[in-house]
Amino acid sequence: MDRETLVQRIKSGECAGAELGAVDLSGCDLSGADLSNTRLSCAKLSGCNLSGANLHHAFLDGANLEDADLSGANLEFAVLGAANLNNANLTGANLQRTNLVGTRAHEARFDGAKLYYSRPGNGDFQGASFRDADIQRAIFRRANLANADLRGATGQANFDRANLEGAQQ
Amino acid sequence: MIVRHFLLDVNEVNAFVVGCPETKEAMLIDAGAYDDAIAQFLKEHGLTLKTVFITHDHYDHTDGLGEYVSRYSADVIASIPTVQGHKVARQVKHGDQVRVGNLTGTVYETPGHTPEGVSLAFPGCVFTGDALFAGSVGGTASEADKQRQLDAIRKHIFTLPPETQVHVGHGPSSTVAIESRYNPFFV
Repeated sequence: MDRETLVQRIKSGECAGAELGAVDLSGCDLSGADLSNTRLSCAKLSGCNLSGANLHHAFLDGANLEDADLSGANLEFAVLGAANLNNANLTGANLQRTNLVGTRAHEARFDGAKLYYSRPGNGDFQGASFRDADIQRAIFRRANLANADLRGATGQANFDRANLEGAQQ
Repeated sequence: MIVRHFLLDVNEVNAFVVGCPETKEAMLIDAGAYDDAIAQFLKEHGLTLKTVFITHDHYDHTDGLGEYVSRYSADVIASIPTVQGHKVARQVKHGDQVRVGNLTGTVYETPGHTPEGVSLAFPGCVFTGDALFAGSVGGTASEADKQRQLDAIRKHIFTLPPETQVHVGHGPSSTVAIESRYNPFFV
């Protein structure tokens, strides 16, 4: 299937729950798409527009989402462990109960996002912004939050052995 | 293979339905509470709940057991002889195989959080109860129990193929690759 056809199928909702694996959709407009329960492990999604997409329960482990727009996306229960979220925009995203273990997210924006019960342990969030985010029960154990912006973030999170050097709280 | 996750009200615990697409037989993994959404899912997919597998004997994984047993006449599978007063139909131990229709799962001992804790692995996924979580592990009563738990996970879970999905008792799922490389309790 060519890339254009796949994008059309995704946008029409036909791919929800599918096994798409390490597909290359970098730079594509998938805004508002239903990709819930979809397996996108190691997918190439850099620069993708996934704003408002439904990625509930999706497996995005090891995916490249650098510079992707995930603002307002639903990522509840999604697996983003070991993914590349460098410079991604997750403003207002639903990241409740999301797996962010070992995720790289340098300079990513989580402003206003819901990170309740998320698991960002051992992730690299250097310079990321969590302004006004809900981080209740999030577990940042051993995460790198150097120079991160946590101003206005609400809730009790676990920062056991996290690097908060230069972070604004 | 059909795998569906349910978030239950009690203690934000997870439950999972595993179904065989060929025979339409299903297993419920952990039964923290009876949930109409599970009943609805089984009905919509034409699945017959044959068994309930209990990973460990904590109330938030077992309190709904009686309801599933009475409604579906489901057999209970666990590593201990009785759960919530229900005599188990099959008491399993490390290495035993468990069938769901044409699917075959293998039981692995993962004690520590509880002495009787077991995980159940099918090709492509493993259910770990409270032994292993995304980026964490279940709480233990002593340092010795913690070490037993970490050792069992290293030996039996982290040796599964790296792409194996890890479905846990609380919180999001993960993969063997993520947990073995990044879980702060192991690296």
